[in-house]
Amino acid sequence: MDETRNGFAPRARTAGLIVRELAGELLVYDRDRNKAHCLNETAALIWKHCDGRTTVSTLRDLLQDDKVAPVDEQVIWYALDQFAKDHLLQERLERPARIGRLSRRELIQRIGLAASIPLVASVVAPTVFAAASCTQGCTIPINCTVPGCQGGCSGGTCLPG
Amino acid sequence: MDKIDRLGWAAGISFVSYGVRVGVRVNKPEILERLVARFPPGWKPSRVRIVERLYSVIVGGEGPRPNVRRFDILYGNVEKLLRTLDIDELLEVFESDLKLHVAAGARRRVFVHAGVVGWRGQAILIPGRSFSGKTTLVAELIRAGATYYSDEYAVLDAQGRVHPYPRPLSVRQNGKRVKRTPQMLGGKSGTEPLAIGLVIVSRYKPGARWRPRALSAGEGALALIENTVAVQREPKTVLETLRRAMPDAPVLKGVHGNARQVVDHIVKNFSARDNKH
Repeated sequence: MDETRNGFAPRARTAGLIVRELAGELLVYDRDRNKAHCLNETAALIWKHCDGRTTVSTLRDLLQDDKVAPVDEQVIWYALDQFAKDHLLQERLERPARIGRLSRRELIQRIGLAASIPLVASVVAPTVFAAASCTQGCTIPINCTVPGCQGGCSGGTCLPG
Repeated sequence: MDKIDRLGWAAGISFVSYGVRVGVRVNKPEILERLVARFPPGWKPSRVRIVERLYSVIVGGEGPRPNVRRFDILYGNVEKLLRTLDIDELLEVFESDLKLHVAAGARRRVFVHAGVVGWRGQAILIPGRSFSGKTTLVAELIRAGATYYSDEYAVLDAQGRVHPYPRPLSVRQNGKRVKRTPQMLGGKSGTEPLAIGLVIVSRYKPGARWRPRALSAGEGALALIENTVAVQREPKTVLETLRRAMPDAPVLKGVHGNARQVVDHIVKNFSARDNKH
């Protein structure tokens, strides 16, 4: 993240990520952590412009142009917080002291439109065994020996785990 | 492997399924037919001598004295997967492990753990692990007139179309699994690949009312990724396949306590959506 004369310029991480666009959203797969993320349209727009040169205030202007409505700078910081939490930025995020951290609810209360909130949904990619279908019969948990189905015994069948 | 190799094998077969080479060997030839009946759909015999997964099945049978039985043992490569006195249990575990390894190693196909039916020329996907209630939903959809595709894996090709994986449904009854063909439920199996028309992300919760909320295509893709077998090995292929599979399909998420409620919702709304087009 660079600090330019006009403010902070975050840089999106690229190494180890696979990115695909899907109906305006972005699917991002993190190979290092085996996690998949979905950036909604607002988050996708912000992340795509995190090039290390575009400052937070410019990001806000870009989003404003896209939404054809005024955008609070807090929206950008809210997105950056999520990117940082999910390791989608190249460098650590350093928030200026004047910018407080808002929760999603506080942000909605402040800007009013839930649809404009940048959101990142994430899941952990399963291992092969985590996706196993459990069919082994059991009477006690120790009977469950099949990998991926060692989560206990219920109703005569081994549970995933 | 040498120790297992020396056990003495009476019969065997090698085959290819979705590009994965598999071998099976047994100490008693009569069990081979029952194992073959558990092979994944579309398997083809092969003459290859080197396989990616080798199953070794030892049928124990009667012991040296009356009232003594030897254990039946299943190995997957060198790993002992099961030791049991119940041959049906061994067949179940064999089938489950085989399907998982084929799903994990498949070439040119993406396996998503999901129930699938065909409905008005499109596929309805119900992703979920064991105990999520997907087989009950699939069975209920078949009774409502849907075509059966799978109650275990949605098999996606590079264009994102869903192919049939028609193994009998594994329905739980009184704590036990029983096999049901779609014909036994009054339905039939699909044969043609279908585009995804609807994704239902749901899990069974006793007493819950089905009040779904719509998810975006991206959130729907995440729900499929959570159930995709080989996503850690082939993330690029999986993302590309889902990108092609998902753009137009509505995605609904909610809990259900009664499969009938979900099916009624689909029949009413999916038909209406169909009529609009």
